[in-house]
Amino acid sequence: MAPTVAAGPNRINGLHGGLGRRRGVFGLRRLLTYESTSFAYVLNAPSIAAIAILVAFPIVDSAWISLHHYNLMRPHVFAFVGLGNFLQILASAEFWAALLVTAEFTSLAVVLVSLLGVGGALLLSSPFPGRAVLRVLILIPWAIPPVVNGLMWQWIYDPKVGVLNGLLKALGVIGHYQGWLSSSSGALLALVSAHVWSMFPLAVILLTGALQRIPGELYDAARIDGSDELGLFRHVTLPWLAQPLLVVLIIETMYALHAFDVIYVLTSGGPGTATTTLTWQTYITTFENLDFGLGDAYAWLISLLTVGLSVIYFRALYHRGEFEA
Amino acid sequence: MSSLRVAASWRKRRRTALLVVFAILLSIFILAPFAWLVLTSFMHEKDALSVPPQWIPAHPTFSNYLSFFNPSGVRALVGSQAAADTLPGIVNSLIVATGAALLNVILGALAGYSFARLQFRGRSSLLMLYLGSRMVPGIALIIPLYLMVRLLGLLDTLPALMLTYLTFTLPFTIWLLKSYFQAIPRAIEEAALVDGCTWAQMLFKVLLPMAKPGLAGAGMFAFMTAWNDYLFAVILTNTMASKTVTVVVAGFATDVTTARTLMTTGGVLAVIPPLVLAFIFRKFVVEGLTAGAVKG
Repeated sequence: MAPTVAAGPNRINGLHGGLGRRRGVFGLRRLLTYESTSFAYVLNAPSIAAIAILVAFPIVDSAWISLHHYNLMRPHVFAFVGLGNFLQILASAEFWAALLVTAEFTSLAVVLVSLLGVGGALLLSSPFPGRAVLRVLILIPWAIPPVVNGLMWQWIYDPKVGVLNGLLKALGVIGHYQGWLSSSSGALLALVSAHVWSMFPLAVILLTGALQRIPGELYDAARIDGSDELGLFRHVTLPWLAQPLLVVLIIETMYALHAFDVIYVLTSGGPGTATTTLTWQTYITTFENLDFGLGDAYAWLISLLTVGLSVIYFRALYHRGEFEA
Repeated sequence: MSSLRVAASWRKRRRTALLVVFAILLSIFILAPFAWLVLTSFMHEKDALSVPPQWIPAHPTFSNYLSFFNPSGVRALVGSQAAADTLPGIVNSLIVATGAALLNVILGALAGYSFARLQFRGRSSLLMLYLGSRMVPGIALIIPLYLMVRLLGLLDTLPALMLTYLTFTLPFTIWLLKSYFQAIPRAIEEAALVDGCTWAQMLFKVLLPMAKPGLAGAGMFAFMTAWNDYLFAVILTNTMASKTVTVVVAGFATDVTTARTLMTTGGVLAVIPPLVLAFIFRKFVVEGLTAGAVKG
């Protein structure tokens, strides 16, 4: 730390070796160059500060609030209730209903996004005329803000003037216009479709990148061994995609668990509670019932769920030896 | 021999035809919903509400767009307040998203460098801490963050949003730039230092220019994420001093009395900036996302 360290052991793999004889233009440089741990923390200081103040402190604070009875309707009461809020949630029918909706929404969304992602990536990495155009088009859904996405699908599913009704009636699939968003299963499927439409391009982009990195020799070797097209796909492409697919699963599971904007605009958790996921339930508890204590307990349960699922995924990655921190 | 070649070329042609069919289906899936949003923004309200719905506007018009640029004059429609707020909202979003992107790249480059080049105590714990912070759902942070921002007197200001959005993508930026720096040979850095560059000169004149695609990709991703957010923006803003365009558009969408054509026009306006940027920086975005997520 002090300039005297200049003669000390160089711990940064000889990166700045040979520079010891140069006198720093300013003292700071010497400090920065020779003590790699303190230098590293100097470089990380702004990021650590940002994460500590804007993520770590709030999450600890919200844990603290979740252990209290704290409702803005009676803002002067801030009473410690231990795990009372969590027990109240686990004993409530709303929680289990929301958990079920979350599970349905998340699994449907993740499965569909992964299938479309793999299919789209395989398509985009095969040669055909017009591929360059499709590679640009695929960015459109990704670039659209979820709020606008929700608005767009609300308009498409409209019971009176929506284009889906018009199209299906013209094709003779339905006899009369349907209220897609007013039935429980319809609303959930509509929500899934809107979410999948905006999320699948990311999966396509990530998986296309992975496919392009497959060394050509792998295919040549498999061909020499007598593999046909299907064999090539099963023995070369799929194993190669396993790791990036896991990355896609992690990202998409998180996006689905935390989906909020699109629900807000498209269904607002309804009809009834048909599309009330845990995230929406948290929002209602916090900002409509103004029950901050209970709301934060819900939020913590979602965090735990996310971390739990991610640990499972991470372990799968780690055991493959692919994850390197 | 020649019949074999003919058979092979037939197989190849059939394969290409099949790929083209899938490509067309995928294009329709991508374009149809968006096209309808765009086409509706060029319709008169009467045409937009016709049954059966029109695809191609029967009487195309620019009046919806004009009413956004001159909201007081053209017509006193329901939702004209939201129309008046859209352009200031876009300006707010541009400022916030650009600020968040710049902060991301600056902080991320410094931290990314440390992970790419330095061995230090707590290195992997720190990296896990950054990545772990992304596991926390926004809704878990919003109450304490709101209380904190209120305490600091920063409610309804752009910097509060900028700093909040910084943390959304900072872990990804660090991860991405780490892998970009790792791909640059150390020898180049050493040569610059031997030539008498200070560390800072080396960073700005040698390393950062070489990592440009990574910086652009990370910046774009941060910009889009900040532009797209609704939850934090609606809680932390109050007036047009800081309301972003997603807040204004969500106001349209959840107000049943708003004219449909104005709603879709507002949606299109909110999409234009991120879409244009995504097209311009397509290569960097795609490379960046792929490098960040796939290389590991």
